Amino acid sequence: MRLSRRRLAVYCVAFLFAIVMNFAVPRMMPGSPVDSMIAQLGPRATPAAIEAIKARFGAIEQPIWRQFVDYVVGLAHFDLGVSVKYYPQTVVEVLGRSAGWTAFLVFTAIVFSLCVGVLLGAVSAWRRGGRFDSFVSPFSVVLIAVPPVIIALATLFTFGVTLRLLPVGYAYDPSLDPGLNFTFFSSVFLHAVMPVLTLSPYLIGEFQTTMRSSMISVLGEDYVTMGRAKGLSEAAVMFGYAARNAMLPVLTNLALMLGAVFGGSIVTEIVFNYPGLGLTLYTASVARDYPVIQGQLLLMTIATLGANLLVDIIYGVVDPRIREGRA
Amino acid sequence: MNAGVSLFWRQKKAVAGLVIIVTLCLMALFAPVIAPGDPSERVGRSHQPPTVEHYFGTTKMGRDVFAQFVWGARPSLAVGFATGLAITALGTIVGLVAGYFGGRTDATLDLATNAVLVIPNIPLLILLASFAGTVGPLAIMAIIALTSWPWGARMTRSQTMALRQREFVVAARMVGEPHWRVIFVEILPNLVPLIGINVVGSIIYAIVAQTTLEYLGFGDPLRVTWGTMLYNAQNSSAIMVGAWWDIAVPAAGIALVGLGLALINFTFDEIANPQLRSGPALSRWLRLTRLRRRQLEAAR
Repeated sequence: MRLSRRRLAVYCVAFLFAIVMNFAVPRMMPGSPVDSMIAQLGPRATPAAIEAIKARFGAIEQPIWRQFVDYVVGLAHFDLGVSVKYYPQTVVEVLGRSAGWTAFLVFTAIVFSLCVGVLLGAVSAWRRGGRFDSFVSPFSVVLIAVPPVIIALATLFTFGVTLRLLPVGYAYDPSLDPGLNFTFFSSVFLHAVMPVLTLSPYLIGEFQTTMRSSMISVLGEDYVTMGRAKGLSEAAVMFGYAARNAMLPVLTNLALMLGAVFGGSIVTEIVFNYPGLGLTLYTASVARDYPVIQGQLLLMTIATLGANLLVDIIYGVVDPRIREGRA
Repeated sequence: MNAGVSLFWRQKKAVAGLVIIVTLCLMALFAPVIAPGDPSERVGRSHQPPTVEHYFGTTKMGRDVFAQFVWGARPSLAVGFATGLAITALGTIVGLVAGYFGGRTDATLDLATNAVLVIPNIPLLILLASFAGTVGPLAIMAIIALTSWPWGARMTRSQTMALRQREFVVAARMVGEPHWRVIFVEILPNLVPLIGINVVGSIIYAIVAQTTLEYLGFGDPLRVTWGTMLYNAQNSSAIMVGAWWDIAVPAAGIALVGLGLALINFTFDEIANPQLRSGPALSRWLRLTRLRRRQLEAAR
């Protein structure tokens, strides 16, 4: 477990950093956000609500360390404060409504792009310098460089507005009742097509590039030559011997990219009016609903850290060298 | 050095990328000549499609999209390039220091690097931007640079660690050269291809991040940039009323910058990492090395 100890330290520091940012930024900024929030609450500003906001954002007569301790204790009890925009609701409630949709979107996009990107990368490494490679490889570099905003707008315009093939906005037809039936699932599927297609190009590009370079170095290994010498079919050598081992750097890359995927999902959800965390963050930032923005950062940090931890564990399972080293 | 430069020039991809970037930069530089007048001025009716008079049509407010595109290139490119350089500088310094000194310095810096790396960037950017209110270009630059240096730092660190063991570095240290001199004179020149990749990649990232922030409404809506053009177009629901030019023009600008830089980076990658090279370039490389070897032998 020597590997995880170091990684755990990284995760702890990252988590602490996110907490400290959340705590310190509102206190450092010029002009108190508290007044604007209270003004926004308007008639709903009960003394209790004002008190809660003041305590959370440091407009209170208490030493700073005391405020920090209270803040962390609150977090430990899942107390992220109350939303300003949806006042009686807490931040946890607001985020809880939308987290599922983002998880669904991001997960689907990752699985889809992993299949496509890894396949493209493996084939272009196998036929290095061929026509396939010299088209696909530069194309994926371009895919990585194009901002999600642009892909989202282009997809929306082409498939949603001009061709009217796919629904624009929402996660499912609002006239349907959510239930375990075919109509509902097909509606969810159709509404997810465009957002997933928007999130995927960046991921496919990254996966293809990583897979290609790691596959190229794997192809020089003895066990691949051995597989060929045994007279195995091309596909068997490519996927059974080479691609399997070349996957590892792709996994590491996936863990590192998750933050960027969340960034992409924010933009995508805004463009497609998809009711996930990104749209919530957007409405919160327009309304200057600071507690929700903070909760969002914390939640996304936790999600990224969790996914990284998961990849660390998967890594141990997939790579026989690491697995045997532990035994 | 010359081998690298000529390799660069013979790559069609790199030259194409360079042409795109230089053209856009020239357009930004000569904005007062190409599109004279104030880009925020109302010059026509709302949402007019492209005509001879207004090449790229007009916005909802009746502003000329072409003029906005030309003038918007200035802040978009300037902030993008400056931020990319700032990200690279930060990352390179952290990576060099961590890789060179090792030990506790390295442990601390590496921990910080990995920690900032796993924190999702865009939510952090939004948190900072939303508390800062409407942010100017300098604030956008600082926010992006401070959250995205770890990629470069990681790459630089591992390269520096490898270089530190090499004879010429060890020799320089034995002679008693000061640390800063070993770092900047012995190690840094060997990192140039890596820094090149880092600069181009960081500029791409900075332009994406900047556009995203401005699109979300954190930029100053009165300044004309490609990001605020997208923001204004989105707010006037240009797509829904079919005014595609309002969205497509700034989007094309950003996509073009991305494309140009990606093409350049692809070649940088191949120069720094010969293993990635495919067919024609590989044989060209072999020819070059053979040539160089022959020259060396002749010189002897």
